[in-house]
Amino acid sequence: MSVSAPVELTGVSLAYRLSRSRPATLKEFAIRSLRRQVEYERLWALRDLTLRMNPGEVLGVIGPNGAGKSTLMKIIARVLPPTEGRVVVRGSVAAMIELGAGFNGELTGEENIVLYGTLLGRDADAVEQRIPEIAEWAGLSDFMDVPIRSYSSGMLARLGFAVATDVKPDVLVVDEVLSVGDAEFQHKSRRRIEEMIDAGTSVVLVSHDLDLVEDVADRVMLLENGRNKGIGPPGEIVQAYRDSHT
Amino acid sequence: MVTNSSTFYDSDLSRRPLLSEFRNLWEYRDLIALLIRRDITVRYKRSTLGVWWTLLNPLLTTLILWMIFGQFFRFDTGDVPYVVYLLSGILLITYFSQAVIASGSAIVNNSGILTKVYVPPEVFSFSAAGAALVNFMLSLIPLAIIQLVNGVGIPWTVVLVPLPVIAMLALATGIGLLVASAAVFFYDVLDLTGVALQLVSYLTPTFYPISIVPAAFIGIIYANPLFSYLDIFRNFMYGGEFSPAWSFVYMFASSIIALLLGVWVFSKSWRNLIAVL
Repeated sequence: MSVSAPVELTGVSLAYRLSRSRPATLKEFAIRSLRRQVEYERLWALRDLTLRMNPGEVLGVIGPNGAGKSTLMKIIARVLPPTEGRVVVRGSVAAMIELGAGFNGELTGEENIVLYGTLLGRDADAVEQRIPEIAEWAGLSDFMDVPIRSYSSGMLARLGFAVATDVKPDVLVVDEVLSVGDAEFQHKSRRRIEEMIDAGTSVVLVSHDLDLVEDVADRVMLLENGRNKGIGPPGEIVQAYRDSHT
Repeated sequence: MVTNSSTFYDSDLSRRPLLSEFRNLWEYRDLIALLIRRDITVRYKRSTLGVWWTLLNPLLTTLILWMIFGQFFRFDTGDVPYVVYLLSGILLITYFSQAVIASGSAIVNNSGILTKVYVPPEVFSFSAAGAALVNFMLSLIPLAIIQLVNGVGIPWTVVLVPLPVIAMLALATGIGLLVASAAVFFYDVLDLTGVALQLVSYLTPTFYPISIVPAAFIGIIYANPLFSYLDIFRNFMYGGEFSPAWSFVYMFASSIIALLLGVWVFSKSWRNLIAVL
Protein backbone atom coordinates (compact mmCIF):
# COMPACT_ATOMS: atom_id res chain seq x y z
CA MET A 1 0.00 0.00 0.00
CA SER A 2 1.62 3.20 -1.17
CA VAL A 3 -0.48 5.81 0.62
CA SER A 4 -0.90 5.61 4.36
CA ALA A 5 -4.34 5.38 5.92
CA PRO A 6 -5.84 8.68 7.08
CA VAL A 7 -7.46 6.94 10.03
CA GLU A 8 -6.07 3.84 11.63
CA LEU A 9 -7.50 2.15 14.71
CA THR A 10 -5.71 -0.83 16.17
CA GLY A 11 -7.44 -2.89 18.84
CA VAL A 12 -9.22 0.15 20.22
CA SER A 13 -11.38 -0.25 23.30
CA LEU A 14 -12.99 2.49 25.30
CA ALA A 15 -14.47 2.29 28.77
CA TYR A 16 -16.57 4.93 30.47
CA ARG A 17 -16.71 5.01 34.22
CA LEU A 18 -20.30 4.91 35.26
CA SER A 19 -21.41 7.67 37.56
CA ARG A 20 -23.98 5.37 39.16
CA SER A 21 -21.36 3.51 41.16
CA ARG A 22 -18.98 6.42 41.40
CA PRO A 23 -18.95 8.35 44.65
CA ALA A 24 -20.02 11.85 43.74
CA THR A 25 -18.43 13.74 46.59
CA LEU A 26 -15.14 13.54 48.33
CA LYS A 27 -16.96 13.04 51.60
CA GLU A 28 -18.79 10.04 50.21
CA PHE A 29 -15.55 8.72 48.76
CA ALA A 30 -13.83 9.02 52.13
CA ILE A 31 -16.63 7.17 53.88
CA ARG A 32 -16.77 4.46 51.27
CA SER A 33 -13.03 3.93 51.16
CA LEU A 34 -13.01 3.53 54.93
CA ARG A 35 -15.60 0.82 54.47
CA ARG A 36 -13.66 -0.49 51.47
CA GLN A 37 -16.57 -0.02 49.15
CA VAL A 38 -14.95 1.97 46.39
CA GLU A 39 -15.45 0.28 43.10
CA TYR A 40 -15.74 1.57 39.62
CA GLU A 41 -18.18 0.10 37.22
CA ARG A 42 -16.91 0.27 33.69
CA LEU A 43 -19.03 0.47 30.63
CA TRP A 44 -17.25 -0.68 27.52
CA ALA A 45 -18.48 1.44 24.65
CA LEU A 46 -15.98 0.07 22.13
CA ARG A 47 -14.31 -3.31 22.14
CA ASP A 48 -11.21 -4.27 20.21
CA LEU A 49 -11.99 -2.21 17.14
CA THR A 50 -9.56 -2.32 14.27
CA LEU A 51 -10.11 -0.15 11.24
CA ARG A 52 -8.05 1.18 8.37
CA MET A 53 -9.54 3.85 6.18
CA ASN A 54 -8.42 4.34 2.64
CA PRO A 55 -7.53 7.86 1.52
CA GLY A 56 -10.54 9.68 0.11
CA GLU A 57 -12.91 6.98 1.18
CA VAL A 58 -16.41 7.57 2.53
CA LEU A 59 -16.97 5.13 5.34
CA GLY A 60 -20.52 4.69 6.56
CA VAL A 61 -21.03 3.58 10.14
CA ILE A 62 -24.38 2.10 11.08
CA GLY A 63 -25.75 0.32 14.08
CA PRO A 64 -28.48 0.50 16.71
CA ASN A 65 -28.58 3.13 19.44
CA GLY A 66 -25.87 2.55 22.01
CA ALA A 67 -23.67 0.62 19.59
CA GLY A 68 -20.78 3.00 20.14
CA LYS A 69 -21.14 5.16 17.03
CA SER A 70 -20.81 8.48 18.86
CA THR A 71 -17.92 7.14 20.90
CA LEU A 72 -16.18 6.11 17.69
CA MET A 73 -16.59 9.64 16.35
CA LYS A 74 -15.09 11.10 19.49
CA ILE A 75 -12.18 8.67 19.39
CA ILE A 76 -11.33 9.71 15.84
CA ALA A 77 -11.88 13.38 16.73
CA ARG A 78 -9.29 12.99 19.50
CA VAL A 79 -11.82 14.04 22.11
CA LEU A 80 -11.62 10.69 23.88
CA PRO A 81 -8.29 8.92 24.29
CA PRO A 82 -8.68 5.16 23.86
CA THR A 83 -8.62 3.07 27.03
CA GLU A 84 -6.77 0.36 25.13
CA GLY A 85 -5.29 0.19 21.66
CA ARG A 86 -3.99 2.87 19.38
CA VAL A 87 -5.50 5.59 17.23
CA VAL A 88 -3.58 7.30 14.46
CA VAL A 89 -5.09 10.11 12.40
CA ARG A 90 -3.01 11.60 9.61
CA GLY A 91 -4.08 15.07 8.63
CA SER A 92 -6.52 17.59 9.98
CA VAL A 93 -9.82 16.39 11.37
CA ALA A 94 -13.14 18.18 11.43
CA ALA A 95 -15.61 16.41 13.63
CA MET A 96 -19.12 17.67 13.42
CA ILE A 97 -20.34 16.42 16.73
CA GLU A 98 -23.14 18.66 17.98
CA LEU A 99 -22.18 21.72 16.01
CA GLY A 100 -21.75 24.95 17.84
CA ALA A 101 -20.26 23.58 21.06
CA GLY A 102 -18.74 26.69 22.56
CA PHE A 103 -21.22 29.13 21.12
CA ASN A 104 -21.99 31.80 23.65
CA GLY A 105 -25.40 33.47 23.62
CA GLU A 106 -24.09 36.78 24.92
CA LEU A 107 -21.57 37.19 22.12
CA THR A 108 -22.45 38.40 18.64
CA GLY A 109 -22.50 36.28 15.52
CA GLU A 110 -19.10 37.60 14.48
CA GLU A 111 -17.52 36.99 17.86
CA ASN A 112 -18.91 33.47 17.92
CA ILE A 113 -17.55 32.70 14.47
CA VAL A 114 -14.06 33.65 15.60
CA LEU A 115 -14.34 31.84 18.93
CA TYR A 116 -15.76 28.65 17.43
CA GLY A 117 -13.33 28.64 14.51
CA THR A 118 -10.42 29.04 16.94
CA LEU A 119 -11.78 26.28 19.16
CA LEU A 120 -11.68 24.08 16.08
CA GLY A 121 -7.96 24.76 15.88
CA ARG A 122 -7.67 27.57 13.35
CA ASP A 123 -5.80 30.85 13.59
CA ALA A 124 -8.00 33.59 15.01
CA ASP A 125 -6.83 36.05 12.34
CA ALA A 126 -7.56 33.62 9.56
CA VAL A 127 -11.07 33.02 10.87
CA GLU A 128 -11.66 36.73 11.26
CA GLN A 129 -10.89 37.29 7.60
CA ARG A 130 -13.40 34.64 6.64
CA ILE A 131 -16.32 36.17 8.57
CA PRO A 132 -18.07 37.66 5.50
CA GLU A 133 -17.94 34.40 3.54
CA ILE A 134 -19.04 32.31 6.51
CA ALA A 135 -21.91 34.67 7.30
CA GLU A 136 -23.01 34.75 3.72
CA TRP A 137 -22.95 31.01 3.31
CA ALA A 138 -25.05 30.62 6.44
CA GLY A 139 -27.42 33.33 5.15
CA LEU A 140 -26.82 35.37 8.29
CA SER A 141 -24.96 38.41 6.96
CA ASP A 142 -27.58 40.77 8.41
CA PHE A 143 -27.33 39.30 11.90
CA MET A 144 -23.61 39.40 12.53
CA ASP A 145 -23.63 42.14 15.17
CA VAL A 146 -26.51 40.63 17.15
CA PRO A 147 -25.93 38.43 20.21
CA ILE A 148 -26.77 34.92 19.11
CA ARG A 149 -29.13 34.29 22.00
CA SER A 150 -31.72 35.89 19.70
CA TYR A 151 -30.98 33.41 16.89
CA SER A 152 -33.41 30.61 16.13
CA SER A 153 -32.20 27.03 16.43
CA GLY A 154 -32.09 26.80 12.66
CA MET A 155 -29.89 29.88 12.45
CA LEU A 156 -27.56 28.45 15.08
CA ALA A 157 -27.29 25.18 13.19
CA ARG A 158 -26.49 27.01 9.96
CA LEU A 159 -23.85 29.14 11.65
CA GLY A 160 -22.26 26.08 13.27
CA PHE A 161 -22.18 24.17 10.01
CA ALA A 162 -20.82 27.14 8.09
CA VAL A 163 -17.91 27.62 10.49
CA ALA A 164 -17.14 23.92 10.83
CA THR A 165 -17.00 23.38 7.07
CA ASP A 166 -15.31 26.62 6.14
CA VAL A 167 -11.96 24.91 5.87
CA LYS A 168 -11.52 21.66 3.99
CA PRO A 169 -10.27 19.02 6.43
CA ASP A 170 -8.37 15.86 5.52
CA VAL A 171 -10.76 13.78 7.58
CA LEU A 172 -14.37 14.69 8.15
CA VAL A 173 -16.48 13.00 10.78
CA VAL A 174 -20.20 13.69 10.46
CA ASP A 175 -23.38 12.40 11.97
CA GLU A 176 -27.01 13.46 11.75
CA VAL A 177 -25.99 17.12 11.51
CA LEU A 178 -26.77 16.71 7.85
CA SER A 179 -30.43 16.65 8.74
CA VAL A 180 -30.57 20.12 10.29
CA GLY A 181 -32.37 23.05 8.77
CA ASP A 182 -34.87 23.27 5.94
CA ALA A 183 -34.73 21.35 2.68
CA GLU A 184 -32.77 24.07 0.95
CA PHE A 185 -30.11 24.21 3.63
CA GLN A 186 -29.89 20.42 3.77
CA HIS A 187 -29.28 20.38 0.07
CA LYS A 188 -26.67 23.10 0.35
CA SER A 189 -24.81 21.41 3.18
CA ARG A 190 -24.87 18.06 1.45
CA ARG A 191 -23.40 19.66 -1.63
CA ARG A 192 -20.64 21.21 0.43
CA ILE A 193 -19.69 17.83 1.84
CA GLU A 194 -19.77 16.31 -1.64
CA GLU A 195 -17.34 19.01 -2.76
CA MET A 196 -15.02 18.04 0.05
CA ILE A 197 -15.21 14.39 -0.92
CA ASP A 198 -14.40 15.31 -4.51
CA ALA A 199 -11.42 17.27 -3.24
CA GLY A 200 -10.05 14.19 -1.47
CA THR A 201 -11.40 14.43 2.07
CA SER A 202 -11.95 11.08 3.77
CA VAL A 203 -15.31 10.92 5.49
CA VAL A 204 -16.68 8.94 8.37
CA LEU A 205 -20.44 9.18 8.04
CA VAL A 206 -22.39 8.03 11.05
CA SER A 207 -26.09 7.76 10.38
CA HIS A 208 -29.36 6.00 11.02
CA ASP A 209 -30.45 6.91 7.52
CA LEU A 210 -29.63 3.61 5.82
CA ASP A 211 -30.62 4.84 2.36
CA LEU A 212 -28.27 7.79 2.65
CA VAL A 213 -25.41 5.58 3.82
CA GLU A 214 -25.99 3.04 1.08
CA ASP A 215 -26.12 5.86 -1.43
CA VAL A 216 -23.03 7.83 -0.36
CA ALA A 217 -20.60 5.41 1.28
CA ASP A 218 -17.82 3.43 -0.38
CA ARG A 219 -17.72 0.98 2.51
CA VAL A 220 -19.95 0.45 5.51
CA MET A 221 -19.16 -0.80 8.98
CA LEU A 222 -21.81 -2.26 11.23
CA LEU A 223 -21.26 -1.57 14.91
CA GLU A 224 -23.07 -3.50 17.61
CA ASN A 225 -22.30 -3.44 21.30
CA GLY A 226 -19.08 -1.64 20.54
CA ARG A 227 -17.82 -4.35 18.22
CA ASN A 228 -17.27 -4.44 14.50
CA LYS A 229 -19.95 -6.80 13.18
CA GLY A 230 -18.85 -6.56 9.61
CA ILE A 231 -17.32 -4.14 7.19
CA GLY A 232 -17.67 -4.20 3.43
CA PRO A 233 -19.68 -3.04 0.43
CA PRO A 234 -22.62 -0.80 1.42
CA GLY A 235 -25.36 -2.90 -0.14
CA GLU A 236 -24.24 -6.06 1.60
CA ILE A 237 -23.78 -4.63 5.10
CA VAL A 238 -26.91 -2.47 5.03
CA GLN A 239 -28.93 -5.47 3.86
CA ALA A 240 -27.48 -7.65 6.63
CA TYR A 241 -28.37 -4.98 9.19
CA ARG A 242 -31.90 -4.62 7.80
CA ASP A 243 -32.40 -8.39 7.92
CA SER A 244 -31.24 -8.73 11.50
CA HIS A 245 -33.34 -5.82 12.75
CA THR A 246 -36.75 -6.38 11.24
CA MET B 1 -5.24 24.36 5.12
CA VAL B 2 -5.42 27.03 7.75
CA THR B 3 -4.95 25.34 11.05
CA ASN B 4 -2.59 25.59 13.94
CA SER B 5 -3.59 22.31 15.53
CA SER B 6 -1.27 19.43 14.96
CA THR B 7 -2.29 17.52 11.90
CA PHE B 8 -0.96 14.21 13.06
CA TYR B 9 -2.51 12.42 15.97
CA ASP B 10 -1.20 9.24 17.52
CA SER B 11 -2.86 8.27 20.78
CA ASP B 12 0.29 6.43 21.85
CA LEU B 13 2.20 9.71 21.83
CA SER B 14 -0.31 11.51 23.99
CA ARG B 15 1.38 10.53 27.21
CA ARG B 16 3.48 13.52 26.41
CA PRO B 17 6.36 14.79 28.44
CA LEU B 18 5.88 18.03 30.31
CA LEU B 19 7.65 20.22 27.80
CA SER B 20 5.32 19.44 24.93
CA GLU B 21 2.43 20.18 27.26
CA PHE B 22 3.61 23.77 27.40
CA ARG B 23 4.33 23.91 23.69
CA ASN B 24 0.76 22.80 23.16
CA LEU B 25 -0.45 25.71 25.26
CA TRP B 26 1.68 28.12 23.27
CA GLU B 27 0.10 26.86 20.05
CA TYR B 28 -3.30 27.63 21.48
CA ARG B 29 -2.42 31.16 22.69
CA ASP B 30 -4.94 32.70 20.27
CA LEU B 31 -7.66 30.66 21.84
CA ILE B 32 -6.56 31.50 25.37
CA ALA B 33 -6.70 35.21 24.52
CA LEU B 34 -10.15 34.80 22.97
CA LEU B 35 -11.46 32.86 25.96
CA ILE B 36 -10.23 35.56 28.33
CA ARG B 37 -11.99 38.13 26.21
CA ARG B 38 -15.12 36.00 26.18
CA ASP B 39 -15.13 35.68 29.97
CA ILE B 40 -14.72 39.39 30.43
CA THR B 41 -17.15 40.61 27.76
CA VAL B 42 -19.82 38.16 28.89
CA ARG B 43 -19.45 39.24 32.49
CA TYR B 44 -19.65 42.96 31.68
CA LYS B 45 -22.28 42.79 28.98
CA ARG B 46 -24.79 41.39 31.39
CA SER B 47 -24.78 44.27 33.86
CA THR B 48 -25.20 48.00 33.54
CA LEU B 49 -22.56 48.65 36.16
CA GLY B 50 -20.15 46.72 33.94
CA VAL B 51 -16.55 46.80 35.02
CA TRP B 52 -17.47 48.35 38.34
CA TRP B 53 -19.00 45.13 39.60
CA THR B 54 -15.62 43.47 39.78
CA LEU B 55 -14.20 46.37 41.70
CA LEU B 56 -17.19 46.78 43.96
CA ASN B 57 -16.63 43.59 45.90
CA PRO B 58 -13.05 44.19 47.07
CA LEU B 59 -13.76 47.89 47.59
CA LEU B 60 -16.74 47.16 49.84
CA THR B 61 -14.77 44.54 51.76
CA THR B 62 -12.03 47.09 52.20
CA LEU B 63 -14.50 49.72 53.37
CA ILE B 64 -15.92 47.40 56.04
CA LEU B 65 -12.54 46.15 57.23
CA TRP B 66 -11.21 49.70 57.22
CA MET B 67 -14.07 50.78 59.50
CA ILE B 68 -13.60 47.87 61.88
CA PHE B 69 -9.84 47.58 62.04
CA GLY B 70 -8.81 51.05 60.94
CA GLN B 71 -11.28 53.06 62.98
CA PHE B 72 -12.33 50.84 65.91
CA PHE B 73 -9.24 48.70 66.57
CA ARG B 74 -6.88 51.29 65.12
CA PHE B 75 -4.37 48.88 63.66
CA ASP B 76 -1.02 50.52 63.27
CA THR B 77 0.69 49.90 59.93
CA GLY B 78 3.57 52.29 60.47
CA ASP B 79 4.47 54.67 57.66
CA VAL B 80 1.77 53.55 55.29
CA PRO B 81 -1.89 54.53 55.77
CA TYR B 82 -3.98 51.57 56.89
CA VAL B 83 -6.34 51.84 53.92
CA VAL B 84 -3.47 51.35 51.43
CA TYR B 85 -2.09 48.42 53.41
CA LEU B 86 -5.55 46.88 53.62
CA LEU B 87 -6.68 47.38 50.03
CA SER B 88 -3.42 46.07 48.56
CA GLY B 89 -3.75 42.93 50.69
CA ILE B 90 -7.43 42.36 49.92
CA LEU B 91 -6.91 42.86 46.19
CA LEU B 92 -4.03 40.41 45.92
CA ILE B 93 -5.76 37.72 47.97
CA THR B 94 -9.02 38.19 46.06
CA TYR B 95 -7.09 37.77 42.83
CA PHE B 96 -5.48 34.60 44.12
CA SER B 97 -8.76 33.08 45.29
CA GLN B 98 -10.58 34.00 42.10
CA ALA B 99 -7.83 32.57 39.94
CA VAL B 100 -7.72 29.27 41.85
CA ILE B 101 -11.50 28.84 41.85
CA ALA B 102 -11.86 29.92 38.22
CA SER B 103 -9.14 27.66 36.87
CA GLY B 104 -10.27 24.84 39.16
CA SER B 105 -13.83 24.93 37.88
CA ALA B 106 -12.94 25.68 34.26
CA ILE B 107 -12.75 22.03 33.21
CA VAL B 108 -16.17 21.13 34.59
CA ASN B 109 -17.65 24.39 33.31
CA ASN B 110 -16.41 23.74 29.81
CA SER B 111 -17.17 20.03 29.69
CA GLY B 112 -19.75 20.77 26.99
CA ILE B 113 -16.92 21.85 24.70
CA LEU B 114 -14.33 19.35 25.86
CA THR B 115 -16.57 16.37 25.10
CA LYS B 116 -17.17 17.55 21.55
CA VAL B 117 -14.10 19.33 20.26
CA TYR B 118 -10.45 18.50 20.77
CA VAL B 119 -8.82 21.32 22.70
CA PRO B 120 -5.98 20.82 25.19
CA PRO B 121 -8.11 21.07 28.35
CA GLU B 122 -5.52 23.10 30.29
CA VAL B 123 -6.33 25.94 27.90
CA PHE B 124 -9.55 26.54 29.83
CA SER B 125 -7.81 26.61 33.19
CA PHE B 126 -5.19 29.05 31.95
CA SER B 127 -7.70 31.35 30.33
CA ALA B 128 -9.93 31.37 33.43
CA ALA B 129 -6.96 32.37 35.57
CA GLY B 130 -6.04 34.92 32.90
CA ALA B 131 -9.45 36.53 33.21
CA ALA B 132 -8.88 36.85 36.97
CA LEU B 133 -5.56 38.51 36.16
CA VAL B 134 -7.26 41.10 33.94
CA ASN B 135 -9.76 41.87 36.71
CA PHE B 136 -6.93 42.28 39.15
CA MET B 137 -5.07 44.68 36.87
CA LEU B 138 -8.23 46.80 36.64
CA SER B 139 -8.55 46.78 40.41
CA LEU B 140 -5.08 48.30 40.73
CA ILE B 141 -6.49 51.54 39.35
CA PRO B 142 -8.49 52.46 42.49
CA LEU B 143 -5.51 51.40 44.63
CA ALA B 144 -3.23 53.72 42.68
CA ILE B 145 -5.73 56.54 43.01
CA ILE B 146 -5.98 56.04 46.79
CA GLN B 147 -2.17 56.00 47.03
CA LEU B 148 -1.99 59.32 45.18
CA VAL B 149 -4.78 60.89 47.22
CA ASN B 150 -3.23 59.69 50.46
CA GLY B 151 0.13 61.15 49.64
CA VAL B 152 1.81 57.72 49.53
CA GLY B 153 2.50 58.22 45.87
CA ILE B 154 3.59 55.62 43.36
CA PRO B 155 7.28 54.66 43.47
CA TRP B 156 9.28 53.60 40.41
CA THR B 157 9.25 49.99 41.64
CA VAL B 158 5.65 49.82 40.41
CA VAL B 159 7.05 48.68 37.07
CA LEU B 160 8.17 45.48 38.84
CA VAL B 161 4.67 44.69 40.11
CA PRO B 162 4.14 42.23 37.22
CA LEU B 163 6.77 39.94 38.82
CA PRO B 164 4.71 38.89 41.87
CA VAL B 165 1.51 39.13 39.82
CA ILE B 166 2.72 36.72 37.13
CA ALA B 167 4.28 34.41 39.72
CA MET B 168 0.93 34.35 41.46
CA LEU B 169 -0.80 33.49 38.19
CA ALA B 170 1.45 30.45 37.86
CA LEU B 171 0.86 29.44 41.47
CA ALA B 172 -2.92 29.84 41.21
CA THR B 173 -3.15 28.01 37.89
CA GLY B 174 -1.02 25.15 39.18
CA ILE B 175 -3.21 24.77 42.25
CA GLY B 176 -6.28 25.27 40.07
CA LEU B 177 -5.24 22.36 37.83
CA LEU B 178 -4.82 20.13 40.88
CA VAL B 179 -8.28 21.19 42.03
CA ALA B 180 -9.66 20.62 38.53
CA SER B 181 -8.24 17.09 38.43
CA ALA B 182 -10.14 16.27 41.62
CA ALA B 183 -13.24 18.37 40.92
CA VAL B 184 -14.21 16.25 37.93
CA PHE B 185 -14.56 13.26 40.24
CA PHE B 186 -15.93 14.91 43.36
CA TYR B 187 -17.97 18.03 43.00
CA ASP B 188 -17.53 19.04 46.64
CA VAL B 189 -13.82 19.64 46.05
CA LEU B 190 -14.62 23.15 44.86
CA ASP B 191 -16.46 23.91 48.10
CA LEU B 192 -13.57 22.54 50.12
CA THR B 193 -11.21 24.68 48.07
CA GLY B 194 -13.25 27.74 48.95
CA VAL B 195 -12.90 26.94 52.64
CA ALA B 196 -9.17 26.26 52.31
CA LEU B 197 -8.68 29.54 50.45
CA GLN B 198 -10.43 31.43 53.21
CA LEU B 199 -8.20 29.79 55.79
CA VAL B 200 -5.06 30.63 53.83
CA SER B 201 -6.19 34.21 53.38
CA TYR B 202 -6.51 34.60 57.17
CA LEU B 203 -3.00 33.25 57.51
CA THR B 204 -1.82 36.01 55.20
CA PRO B 205 -1.45 39.48 56.73
CA THR B 206 -3.99 41.23 54.53
CA PHE B 207 -5.90 43.29 57.12
CA TYR B 208 -3.68 42.92 60.20
CA PRO B 209 -0.15 44.26 60.54
CA ILE B 210 2.48 41.57 60.96
CA SER B 211 3.61 43.36 64.15
CA ILE B 212 0.56 42.15 66.08
CA VAL B 213 1.26 38.47 65.39
CA PRO B 214 2.58 36.77 68.58
CA ALA B 215 6.14 35.48 68.23
CA ALA B 216 4.96 31.90 68.68
CA PHE B 217 2.87 32.07 65.50
CA ILE B 218 5.04 34.23 63.30
CA GLY B 219 6.63 31.08 61.82
CA ILE B 220 3.25 30.05 60.39
CA ILE B 221 2.87 33.40 58.65
CA TYR B 222 6.33 33.21 57.13
CA ALA B 223 5.78 29.59 56.08
CA ASN B 224 2.70 30.58 54.11
CA PRO B 225 4.01 31.15 50.59
CA LEU B 226 1.37 33.79 49.96
CA PHE B 227 3.11 36.02 52.46
CA SER B 228 6.14 36.32 50.19
CA TYR B 229 3.96 37.30 47.22
CA LEU B 230 2.08 39.88 49.26
CA ASP B 231 5.20 41.33 50.82
CA ILE B 232 6.92 41.70 47.47
CA PHE B 233 3.80 43.11 45.87
CA ARG B 234 3.31 45.71 48.60
CA ASN B 235 6.93 46.79 48.54
CA PHE B 236 6.83 47.25 44.77
CA MET B 237 3.41 48.87 44.74
CA TYR B 238 3.86 51.49 47.44
CA GLY B 239 6.95 50.76 49.55
CA GLY B 240 9.43 51.52 46.82
CA GLU B 241 11.83 48.87 48.07
CA PHE B 242 12.86 45.25 47.62
CA SER B 243 11.76 42.48 49.94
CA PRO B 244 14.51 40.22 51.34
CA ALA B 245 16.04 37.78 48.85
CA TRP B 246 14.54 34.73 50.54
CA SER B 247 11.07 36.10 49.78
CA PHE B 248 11.88 36.12 46.09
CA VAL B 249 13.32 32.63 46.24
CA TYR B 250 10.27 31.37 48.07
CA MET B 251 7.92 33.10 45.67
CA PHE B 252 9.49 31.91 42.44
CA ALA B 253 10.16 28.40 43.73
CA SER B 254 6.58 27.93 44.95
CA SER B 255 5.08 29.27 41.74
CA ILE B 256 7.21 27.12 39.47
CA ILE B 257 6.71 23.98 41.54
CA ALA B 258 2.95 24.52 41.74
CA LEU B 259 2.67 25.10 38.02
CA LEU B 260 4.77 22.10 37.00
CA LEU B 261 3.03 19.84 39.50
CA GLY B 262 -0.42 21.03 38.42
CA VAL B 263 0.26 20.55 34.72
CA TRP B 264 1.87 17.16 35.32
CA VAL B 265 -0.86 15.75 37.57
CA PHE B 266 -3.53 17.09 35.27
CA SER B 267 -2.03 15.60 32.14
CA LYS B 268 -1.63 12.26 33.92
CA SER B 269 -5.23 12.17 35.05
CA TRP B 270 -6.81 13.54 31.89
CA ARG B 271 -7.39 10.08 30.41
CA ASN B 272 -9.55 9.21 33.42
CA LEU B 273 -11.15 12.62 33.63
CA ILE B 274 -12.57 12.73 30.13
CA ALA B 275 -14.18 9.31 30.56
CA VAL B 276 -16.40 10.66 33.34
CA LEU B 277 -17.10 14.20 32.12
